[in-house]
Amino acid sequence: MVIPFAPRRGPGAGPAQGLSGESLPMSGWLKQLDALLRGEHTRKDDLQEGRVGLAARRLVLLGLLLGAVYGAGMGLYAAVGGRDGGWRHMASAALKLPLLFLLTLLVTFPSLYVFSALANSRLRLRETLRLLVASITVMLGVLASFAPVTAFFTLSTDSYRFLLFLNVVFCGLAGLVGLGFLLRAIRLVFPNEKGSPEDGGRARRIFRVWLLLFGVVGAQMAWILKPFVGNPHLRFEWIRPSRAMNFFEFVLRSLTNDWY
Amino acid sequence: MPLRAPLLDVDGLLRGEGLHAVGGGRPPLGRLAATIALGAMLNGAVMGSFGGHGLQAAYSALKMPALLVLAALLCWPNFWVVNRVLGLGADFAAATRALLSAQATLAVTLAALAPVTAFFHASTESYEFVKLLHFAVFGVASLAAQRTLARHYRPLLARDRRHRVALLAWPTLYFFVAGQMAYALRPFLGNPRLPTTFLRDPWWGNVYVDLGWAVRGALGF
Repeated sequence: MVIPFAPRRGPGAGPAQGLSGESLPMSGWLKQLDALLRGEHTRKDDLQEGRVGLAARRLVLLGLLLGAVYGAGMGLYAAVGGRDGGWRHMASAALKLPLLFLLTLLVTFPSLYVFSALANSRLRLRETLRLLVASITVMLGVLASFAPVTAFFTLSTDSYRFLLFLNVVFCGLAGLVGLGFLLRAIRLVFPNEKGSPEDGGRARRIFRVWLLLFGVVGAQMAWILKPFVGNPHLRFEWIRPSRAMNFFEFVLRSLTNDWY
Repeated sequence: MPLRAPLLDVDGLLRGEGLHAVGGGRPPLGRLAATIALGAMLNGAVMGSFGGHGLQAAYSALKMPALLVLAALLCWPNFWVVNRVLGLGADFAAATRALLSAQATLAVTLAALAPVTAFFHASTESYEFVKLLHFAVFGVASLAAQRTLARHYRPLLARDRRHRVALLAWPTLYFFVAGQMAYALRPFLGNPRLPTTFLRDPWWGNVYVDLGWAVRGALGF
């Protein structure tokens, strides 16, 4: 999904604030999320000058909060119906979901930084990291917006496979939006005047491949950190990594087996 | 429901004029909410009255507005985020007006078709026929709602084509959730062979999983 540039702020508008950690005219996590989603911290002028006006720490906190909201919705399935583990499932999923995104970022960040530097990106290491954390927070924001729907389906359905499918779809959609946000920003940080159009195109292709890598690593990371929804036939465990199968094999088998 | 109810301005809603004019600033939330509630209650009451069950009529009159409102509330956070991510925040009031006006049109159309469904309730005993009739009535009311939605979104789309994404995302998620909500809140019509209850026991179940099994059964798997 292509997300075009966010509109420029008019003359007389103040400098980028909120998640930059400086003097904060607005309060409340919701307003900070609003500013991030609208692209106020990833404006064209800032990015082309190699600036990402975000405090990573505050952004990480916001991301953790949003991820915890959705994770709680995922873990609700095991919490209701008196299954083994009860409310610990909710706590487990609320903790692990933001961790999933951050660990995927840590694993894939070095490769993105290398590709980015080779393509003469204007962002240095710290700014690249901030931009990625911003994209992940956008992803988690979109995911958190699905939390009421997930919670409703969790409360009204007994089908474990359906809920798994629903969560995979929502995570996929959120991932697409977050990565679209990143792609839009990345298109602004390649030098247009120095490189040839072919260089710019090649660099963008490299990033698209990296985005695919992020998706694949993320999916497998979810497999390693499972359970999130919680198989009703298994007892509660904080983490149940399984090397015998992988995420993609599991999805394929689920689609070809019976629904229950 | 009188079409010239001045308080709710139903005529204005259907034509996109007056209080409900396209691009008319802050939407009249109270009037729209009241229109949705009243139209849905009337439709629910008629649905539940099949077979002369007064109690089912009362239950359905309460559940129908709850269905529309709850489904919309569940999808609301996602609509907000989608609009923000697409940079459409400035048009959010107009987009809200569009959605609520569409829901109100749905409710008004359902209420307008109530005499038709009441007539069929009185003239046939076939539960299966009446069930199909109500599906058809919802289908027609949805089309009417789409007309209002398109009318309100026309200037938004002219301003910014990204509104298409939000316009696609909302009904997709809304109907997905509303389908399950309707299933969870059943019965509305009330199978005459089953006792009258507020909700079925057990009330939970997944409409999409059950539909899948029904299709498989029908195909002989």
